[in-house]
Amino acid sequence: MITAWQSILNLPEHTPHAVVMILVLIISYLFVVLPCSLIMAFMERKLSADLQARVGPNRSGPAGFFQPVSDALKLMQKVDSPSSNRAEAIWLGIAGMALYSTVAVLPLGSLILLVDTDMSVFLPFWGVIVLTFATLMMGLTQDTVSGWLGGLRTSLRGMAGVFPALIAVLCAGLPAGGFSWSHIAAAQSAAPYHWTAFNNPFGAISLIVFLMSGMIVLGVAPLDGAISFSELRGGTAAHLSGPKLGMFRLSRFYGMFLWCVMAVVLFLGGWSIPEGLTEALRDSNSFGVIVLIELFVLLIKTFAVMLLIVMFSQVTPRMRVDQVTDLNWKVLSPFSLISLVGFAFWTAWLHG
Amino acid sequence: MSLREYLATDFTNWSLGPYHPALPGPMMLRLQLDGEIIVSGETEAGFLHRGLEKALERHSWQSSLTYADRLDPESAIFGELAVCLAAEEIAGIDVPRRAQNIRVILSELTRISSHLGFLARMAKAVGSTPMFHYVLRDRERVLDLFELLTGARFSINFLRLGGVSADVTEGFIERVIDVCELIRIRLKEYNDLFSFNHAFLKRSSWIGVLSSERARALGVTGPNARAAGLSLDVRKSAPYSGYELIDFEIPVGRGEGGTIGDAHDRFVLRLREITQSLEILKQSVDSIPAGQFQSVKISREFTIAPGEAYSRVESPRGTLGCHLVSDGGTRPARVQFKTPSTGHMLTIPELVIGTRVEDISVILLSLDISLAEFDR
Repeated sequence: MITAWQSILNLPEHTPHAVVMILVLIISYLFVVLPCSLIMAFMERKLSADLQARVGPNRSGPAGFFQPVSDALKLMQKVDSPSSNRAEAIWLGIAGMALYSTVAVLPLGSLILLVDTDMSVFLPFWGVIVLTFATLMMGLTQDTVSGWLGGLRTSLRGMAGVFPALIAVLCAGLPAGGFSWSHIAAAQSAAPYHWTAFNNPFGAISLIVFLMSGMIVLGVAPLDGAISFSELRGGTAAHLSGPKLGMFRLSRFYGMFLWCVMAVVLFLGGWSIPEGLTEALRDSNSFGVIVLIELFVLLIKTFAVMLLIVMFSQVTPRMRVDQVTDLNWKVLSPFSLISLVGFAFWTAWLHG
Repeated sequence: MSLREYLATDFTNWSLGPYHPALPGPMMLRLQLDGEIIVSGETEAGFLHRGLEKALERHSWQSSLTYADRLDPESAIFGELAVCLAAEEIAGIDVPRRAQNIRVILSELTRISSHLGFLARMAKAVGSTPMFHYVLRDRERVLDLFELLTGARFSINFLRLGGVSADVTEGFIERVIDVCELIRIRLKEYNDLFSFNHAFLKRSSWIGVLSSERARALGVTGPNARAAGLSLDVRKSAPYSGYELIDFEIPVGRGEGGTIGDAHDRFVLRLREITQSLEILKQSVDSIPAGQFQSVKISREFTIAPGEAYSRVESPRGTLGCHLVSDGGTRPARVQFKTPSTGHMLTIPELVIGTRVEDISVILLSLDISLAEFDR
């Protein structure tokens, strides 16, 4: 894949691989992750405003499109909260680094997979688990009851949520015959009835389990007991302000983005575009166009999934943390196991 | 130190307040926690004490009504009404039928507005922002009516001894009917969106259960007592301002979501009270008689013969009592309020025991306590 990147970036052939890797990471972050965060932040605000019979942002830029930019600028200018301590900053930094290291394994298209090992599907979990752990530690280092409770809640939902999510990943890998992104993408095609979620009776269950457990692991809105304002006054995030708060929000957002990209690639056909189109573009040697079209398809699907989650989180009252773990162990986990067994039989019947 | 001693954990002490989003107003809540479970809770209030009763005693009869407004700013009319009823009883002032009807209309509009505020706060407590915004948007329509009639949206300062300060117009009556229709439609929407939403039910049913015995023992009145199964309402038991002429029902808790007297029951009961208030409004608007709206003109030197009286009105939070003493002077000699929030506050230490930290805001806000009237 490094060679594909070299040709896309027009780099000389003898460029060291490490340099290419770093360049690709910077490019993916600056031109994919960051713009997506801003676009999604805007869409989320507009959608929630619509659902709440409000206008939403409408001052900065056309229809308030640059509101996220002005928010980011505002947060960067703010002074750090006097109660924040160094340990908190360190854990925040660790969470950010772990998360953004997963940009390397972010599946953004068939030609631009930077790391495509047999286990690459499991690699993003590392970032998410470290995010959970660092959020827990951020709470514990605060020396307040609310930070402590927030940390405990984070650990509870993190532990509970990862199990069904991993089982759901196994479900997607079974019919594909491997756990590299290219294997999983190759097992699906542009047609929805070839997507893992719809080409067998258990796909939809695994998809829902994967999305819901992701919301739980990341603590997305109705399941965000750890940073709830109504009784913990912010919980683990209570001390964060200014640039640190911006960083915390961005890494939470990136976690959700990562999870939705994974859901799309695992279950919803990923970046696949019609075979004929790929062939034609490949013949005319226009690899850049393929990359762009695939990225576009992937991001549109990802945004659709994210907006669905935003809608769900807006209309659902917040769940208590014991209810969240109950949901995980008593509902999502059994369903994920059922679908794993189902997937196994289905795959055996299909191939055997 | 043995391992058992080393690992033993003690209870955590956590003080919330005086300003905290889970609290209904400025107060302290001192909790003892075993993990997330509340072992005990103590309340402390007084942060909003303004010496209101004394302020009433330092002003002329008419000016003191303005202060009564501030007893509970969210349901301003009831403070005024309680003082008016007591003063009119001592002075033997008759209130014209038209003025009484206007008082009832304002009372029920205030009840609706206060209950809508309650719904919004409950929605906020469980993190349901759309419901919060819808309810507040509709409450604005009710506040518009106050503005139309009295010129103010919250502290309306509209009642006078022997009547009200201005007459209602045809346009106002029509607007009241419009708003009633709107709220009736909206109540159905609230029910569809929120009242029996599974997630909301899980957050509010079987939580903060107040039994009828404890409600009676602690002096709980109003919707909280009715949700606990007690059919208490001053509008029925000791009618004032012509409530005896109006046909309406007193909703009592049924425990639809969980059990009788839980937080969800208190929520649903207020929804049903809004329906009854709409009914009362419809009847009082239809039957508003012609005539004068004020029987006496009150000047700064107005005096009331010596005597004392105790009046009771049914405010949105419960029974509001006012003990008024006149020594024949130009000001009240002694004013004492018996506010419903006093009883509700007493239930907090009992209701929070054994619940989880996340339930505090639901329990506290479901009691609809006004710290303003508790601290006075």
